Amino acid sequence: MSALGGAAAGGEGINPTGTVVGIVILLVSIAATYALGFSIIPLIGIIIGGALIGFGVHFVPVGGAPAAMGQAPGIATGVAMLAAGAGLAGLFGGAWAYEATGDFAVAIAGGAVGGGLMMAITCMMVNATYVFAMGIPAASGKVDKDPITGDTFPAYKSQGTEGHGLPFISFFGGVIGGLIAGLGGTLIYIELLEIYHVGLPAIMQADAAAIEPLAISMAGILAIGFFLVNAVLAAYNITGTIEGPHDPKFKRVPRAVIGCAVASAFCGFISMLIVLNTGM
Amino acid sequence: MEEIVLGIGITALAGALATVAGAAEDTESDIGSQGDPNSQVQLAPQMGYIHRIFNKAISGEPPAYGAWCVIGAGVAWALMQINYNPALAIILGAVIAVFVQGIYCTSGYLGRTASLAKFQQPVYIDIIKSLTPVTMAHSFVAIFCTVAMCYLMATALHHPFALPLLGLVWGIALGAAGSATGNPFYGKERQYQNQKFGAGVPISASGNIVRYAEAGQRSSLDNGWFTTKFAGPASGICFGLIVFLELWRTVLFEKMMSGWGAIIMGIVLILIFTFIDRWIEVWGRKTYGPYGTTEEASS
Repeated sequence: MSALGGAAAGGEGINPTGTVVGIVILLVSIAATYALGFSIIPLIGIIIGGALIGFGVHFVPVGGAPAAMGQAPGIATGVAMLAAGAGLAGLFGGAWAYEATGDFAVAIAGGAVGGGLMMAITCMMVNATYVFAMGIPAASGKVDKDPITGDTFPAYKSQGTEGHGLPFISFFGGVIGGLIAGLGGTLIYIELLEIYHVGLPAIMQADAAAIEPLAISMAGILAIGFFLVNAVLAAYNITGTIEGPHDPKFKRVPRAVIGCAVASAFCGFISMLIVLNTGM
Repeated sequence: MEEIVLGIGITALAGALATVAGAAEDTESDIGSQGDPNSQVQLAPQMGYIHRIFNKAISGEPPAYGAWCVIGAGVAWALMQINYNPALAIILGAVIAVFVQGIYCTSGYLGRTASLAKFQQPVYIDIIKSLTPVTMAHSFVAIFCTVAMCYLMATALHHPFALPLLGLVWGIALGAAGSATGNPFYGKERQYQNQKFGAGVPISASGNIVRYAEAGQRSSLDNGWFTTKFAGPASGICFGLIVFLELWRTVLFEKMMSGWGAIIMGIVLILIFTFIDRWIEVWGRKTYGPYGTTEEASS
């Protein structure tokens, strides 16, 4: 029960009706893609990429405004913002690697490492700020003991707060979140690029080499759009702040994965319509 | 070989530009009170604490800087298409983006402060006049450096993304790095300077921000002066490291093991930062020790 007497919001459960509606939308999007003569393989890649972004965002320790006052652990910014920052740094690396090598696996791994590296540096600087500039040790508010290092937290939590800084499990979550989100974003970019690489020269009746910059730009901007759609959906699922994989809110992750997959399927279908050859 | 040497030089220059951009971004967001700590600036009048702090959280820093950098990069790109000199095009792009930022600042301050009218928080015209140009100047530095860095990536390092797209990607990353590193220092150390050092702000103290300076009321310029001592440079180092190492690992190791060299180096860097982070965490626990009870602390 909430303070206002209503039912508690934001629980861990999955709404069966909503899930069925979502799966229907997902299947209709795939069927419509197939019916219009597109290959469904890129759409499946986009759906997997979107689900990965939604999954990855839940690992990122985000404390929002309370973290900026040392009132709660995590990074002092918004969930969607930080995940987007990390994922886009990954997308930058992945797109570059794909351009240079043309190898799918290298590009995907490059995107993942780019996102992970951005989060590793950011999380380290957050802890440096808390420890060296503010004199505050890291302490989790959700668990008494770090699941990885075994550090205990209750004695290191200052009075009247829910903890502060980034305990090692949160740092670990941040890096894993950056890796997964960067991987998902790059996967979506590559799938979109494959679609536009073939589709745009056909509908514009132009040379593929001349259209290449347009295809890359469209795939890039839509990949950023997909990233924000999925990161914001995941942020709604998290409702505010999360400490990382040890946070009880992490149990909500299946709901976000379903939601992100459905949204990515529909958005993926729309993004394919751009290159629909109507014969006009 | 020559290509790699040029690449390393460009990487170093891009890293330096990113460092300046990060420092300017965080200082701008602290003077303008753009990030998460602005929740307290907005809350204070509702708790009865009238203040003269700038209040312009237009949006989170990442989307705000994403928008401003993409405007700067887009205008610069358009001017370069009609054969403007790149340096001039980037300056003009940054200037136009800064005017957009200034408009957002003014409407942000007026809108947010006017919404506090029922709590007797006045709209101070002199704050708009004196602080908006300061935030615009800092954001000019941040946008110019970011767009210049993106230009280097697009032309000298041949990244496939067009300049405006790079502006959006790195603008969002700039805001994410700056807000993550700089916000706690501004939020806890400056706004709650009246609370104990070395502890988080008790939730019961929310809204009771420091409103007075050595002489008269505290201005947001004082906040900029304070946060440039740590939060600005730390944000600069954070963003500079991200850009420099991302480019460095790619430029130097891309050709090794058919592309896997850059990935292995990225994993090695992640592990190095993991060890440094763990060392910082352990150092903090050992140096400061656990918090005592109130009786122990007072004795």
